[in-house]
Amino acid sequence: MRRPQVYWEDVDVGSELEGFELEISPRRVFLQVSGSQDWYPVHHDPAFARKAGHADIFMNTGFLQAALVRVVTDWMGDAGFLRKLYFEMRRQQRPGDTMACKGRVTERYRKDGEGWVELDVWAENGREGVTTPGKAWVILP
Amino acid sequence: MAQRYDIQAVREKYIGTEIATSRGRYPVECDPIRRHCHMVDDSNPLFLDPEYAATTEHGEVVCPPSGWLALYFASLGPWSAVFEPLLPIVPTPGKRMVNMSQEVEWFARVKVGDHLSVRRRVADVYQKGITLDPEAVWIVAEAVITNQRDETVCTIRNTLLTHRTPEEVSAAAAEEATR
Repeated sequence: MRRPQVYWEDVDVGSELEGFELEISPRRVFLQVSGSQDWYPVHHDPAFARKAGHADIFMNTGFLQAALVRVVTDWMGDAGFLRKLYFEMRRQQRPGDTMACKGRVTERYRKDGEGWVELDVWAENGREGVTTPGKAWVILP
Repeated sequence: MAQRYDIQAVREKYIGTEIATSRGRYPVECDPIRRHCHMVDDSNPLFLDPEYAATTEHGEVVCPPSGWLALYFASLGPWSAVFEPLLPIVPTPGKRMVNMSQEVEWFARVKVGDHLSVRRRVADVYQKGITLDPEAVWIVAEAVITNQRDETVCTIRNTLLTHRTPEEVSAAAAEEATR
């Protein structure tokens, strides 16, 4: 069965994307290392992270990017195209946090004959609020 | 006695430097995509299910549009199990690193079977202190990822912060006081 497709003319500015939550558990930390192939110890070795001045290990860029990409690709359907993604690692997602990933439509316009939608996307947690603000540009059918 | 870090000399020598050009050891494969999706519970069948993907206009499994994953396939992956920084070329006072921001632009979808390459260059280097380290150095790197037809599929602009540990900062301050 085909996944639902979002069409440009049906998008409302201000509408929220469904998003999702992930527990940053030890298992999630292992999945992060496996899925990103990022072996830098600051993301899995608490002693290494603390020596660098961090409170604990924290989730890496590949993990956060995958999460923000999922917010968009879950929503845009198979024919949507993520044209651009920008995000900042301002605060950290650490073990014990529940990471919520969300999105909101901010702009909708036509450019070069294509239907563009701009989104705010971000990751947040209860400890620090928004940790990873971002912006996505999507082309929809 | 340690030499003072000369940011101006580093900028003059390294900005614009081509860091590395590499072609992925393997083509884009399903299993690294599966592991990548599993880390964030992404069950999108376009990324995971060849039978489903064959029913779509794309015809094959599509790689999630993550610059991180594209860089993995375009580098010499699977990467070594020993951490090797992607930007060892620019000298910095500290060896600890944190990615601060990333901008990824996509121009074409990547599918299973594509073979990716990457060209990287140092776009900027500057010094801006942080709470942990008043001599932290920031490196901006740009990567262009191409496919087997030499089409640019994505570009990545990454800002990396390098810093010293608190012990290294204290030791340097003590040494400075004795000068």
